[in-house]
Amino acid sequence: MGGVEVTDNKDIRLNIGRSVFENPVFLASGPAGYGLEYINYIDMRKLGGVVTKTISFEPRAGNPGVRLQETPSGLLNSIGLENVGAELFFREKMALLASAGIKLVISLAAEDWDDYRRLIGYVAERDNIEIVELNLSCPNVERGGMAVGTDPDLLGKYVRLAKELLPETDILAKLTPNVRDIGGLALAAEEAGADGITAINTIVGMDIDLSSSKPVFKRVRAGLSGPAIRPVALDAVWKISRTVKIPVIGVGGISSVDDALKFFMAGAAGIQIGTAIFYDPGLPERIIERLETGGIPSRIEYLTGKTERIEDGGKAGDNSGAGCREQG
Amino acid sequence: MSLMNRPYFRTRIAENTRLSPSACKIVFERPEGFADAFPGQFISIRVSEVTVPLLRRPFGIMDLSSTGISALIKVIGPGSSILAAKRAGEEVEIAGPLGGVPFDRPGGEGVVFVAGGTGLGPVIFCARSWKRENISCKTHLFIGAQTKEELLDGLYRDDFSFIYSATIDGSAGYKGNIVELLEKEIDKGGIPSELLYSCGPKAMVRALVDRTGSKFKNHYTSLESVMGCSLGACRGCTVPAIEDGKKVMRSVCLEGTVFNSEAIDWEEWK
Ligand SMILES: Cc1cc2nc3c(=O)[nH]c(=O)nc-3n(C[C@H](O)[C@H](O)[C@H](O)COP(=O)(O)OP(=O)(O)OC[C@H]3O[C@@H](n4cnc5c(N)ncnc54)[C@H](O)[C@@H]3O)c2cc1C
Ligand SMILES: Cc1cc2nc3c(=O)[nH]c(=O)nc-3n(C[C@H](O)[C@H](O)[C@H](O)COP(=O)(O)O)c2cc1C
Repeated sequence: MGGVEVTDNKDIRLNIGRSVFENPVFLASGPAGYGLEYINYIDMRKLGGVVTKTISFEPRAGNPGVRLQETPSGLLNSIGLENVGAELFFREKMALLASAGIKLVISLAAEDWDDYRRLIGYVAERDNIEIVELNLSCPNVERGGMAVGTDPDLLGKYVRLAKELLPETDILAKLTPNVRDIGGLALAAEEAGADGITAINTIVGMDIDLSSSKPVFKRVRAGLSGPAIRPVALDAVWKISRTVKIPVIGVGGISSVDDALKFFMAGAAGIQIGTAIFYDPGLPERIIERLETGGIPSRIEYLTGKTERIEDGGKAGDNSGAGCREQG
Repeated sequence: MSLMNRPYFRTRIAENTRLSPSACKIVFERPEGFADAFPGQFISIRVSEVTVPLLRRPFGIMDLSSTGISALIKVIGPGSSILAAKRAGEEVEIAGPLGGVPFDRPGGEGVVFVAGGTGLGPVIFCARSWKRENISCKTHLFIGAQTKEELLDGLYRDDFSFIYSATIDGSAGYKGNIVELLEKEIDKGGIPSELLYSCGPKAMVRALVDRTGSKFKNHYTSLESVMGCSLGACRGCTVPAIEDGKKVMRSVCLEGTVFNSEAIDWEEWK
């Protein structure tokens, strides 16, 4: 990280809408659960914030069968959004998290439009919900999830409802990379009023168990995370941050302090750490220390040749992910 | 940055002893702050500083002293191979003790242990801890392996009241698998029927449930499953269970590792 240029501005706070975070480093939704289990491992109060495990209106048991499978520098997961449901979360976990001094971003997902209305309506009745992250991109569920996140019109409709029913709450839209034009989706979210974009969720993948000649996962396809997806995530951040004006939170494969710096240089305003906390729970705090001493690296502004085309709304992107309609 | 006072440590390998072609015993220096542990609990080891293998690997605690934590490592893939090749003095990161539900101290006349493969370490920890606590109940170990060499009988000879062994190739003890041997010994008589504790491959535990389930009043088993966080947060290592007639998913790392075998939904967990 020796040669990285840094801004002389040592103020590393991050603003998303009206929300202010002490620093731009978050735990990503999922790997850390609701944050409580990691309290002895990570000093949560030092983090910019913790994005909770995605909450649905009804509790979800998650997927049966094998849920994790390692790949070279990566991890396939098929958790299936197991969570305690909105009622229990807001009644019990929220208070515990707040009393532990954890700054929360609440991740939300729904199965369909009615379920979504019900969930957002429920959240609207709660007090002091500063910011939510709409998970419009989970590959591991039958309905909802990625289907919404791959259609700009639908995505816009979902974001608009959240803005309407939660006027006091800032909205992050979390996007899937399993699309042709992630820049276009980010733009749709921005136009619908999103206060920021989180990218990326996991990339669809699969594996086969040779001993049984069957797919490893019952749902066959699973979500890939970890260092293996870092270049894809970095590219998504690069494209999105050149397409929208709202802050972009980069997530995907960040596994070292240097990785984190690259995301800021690609255009991220903040970052989230997911899979890496499984093997290196000290990483988020090391990144924060580096930012505190060295500032946030400047976004790379110069563009040459081919990459310049990325400026035109991400349309030039050739992120040929799996065809989205095949999912779930 | 200091990770002191957190259950996550950088420590050193004190000894690494090869016990057979596929097994070694590693003793880690017990870091300051490493809490007392119970049988069935485990440590999670970062075997490599690079990202292959990516996840930390869980290993049952085989013994714990004021200075050392020992584990029995079976070499089966990349992570365990890297670990087995480490030498005394090398540093590794470990977390622990982990696991929310250990094996209970037994009461009554005696307890039957069945161990296979990777399951031997935790069972040895049971026998040793209870001996230290002067628990008087008799311990019967049923241990199965492929060959005589893999029985590792020098390791636990003095830890149990009775040892019954089986090898698949017949080079020592009963020729066949350990579940068959247990069935035969139950038929002969003399095996206490109160409590069965098992630890080992899923196929072995499943066979115990199917074939000897009715012969014991209680069967507790320490399960294995691929783990992400190993803290109960990520819900990656869950197994299907039935509680109060309801289907639920339970994490091996926090809601286990030890389960009442009757609570596991074996039909669902294939
Ligand atoms: C609670 C618990 C206690 C264990 N105790 C012992 C022990 O005392 N001694 C021992 O030798 N082994 C033990 N194991 C098994 C040990 O963790 C695996 O053998 C080891 O992780 C294999 O890694 P590998 O890279 O060598 O093999 P791989 O080829 O990567 O994996 C082989 C098999 O190991 C299992 N495995 C792989 N990654 C993980 C992971 N992250 N978490 C859990 N399981 C995984 C999977 O079933 C996989 O199919 C225990 C496992 C658990 C869950
Ligand atoms: C075990 C696991 C569970 C996850 N659960 C969620 C979830 O509930 N909601 C969500 O939006 N993303 C979820 N994700 C995706 C992560 O938040 C993140 O977008 C992705 O893993 C890429 O980042 P990483 O490589 O740092 O893990 C999950 C990822 C993993 C590995």
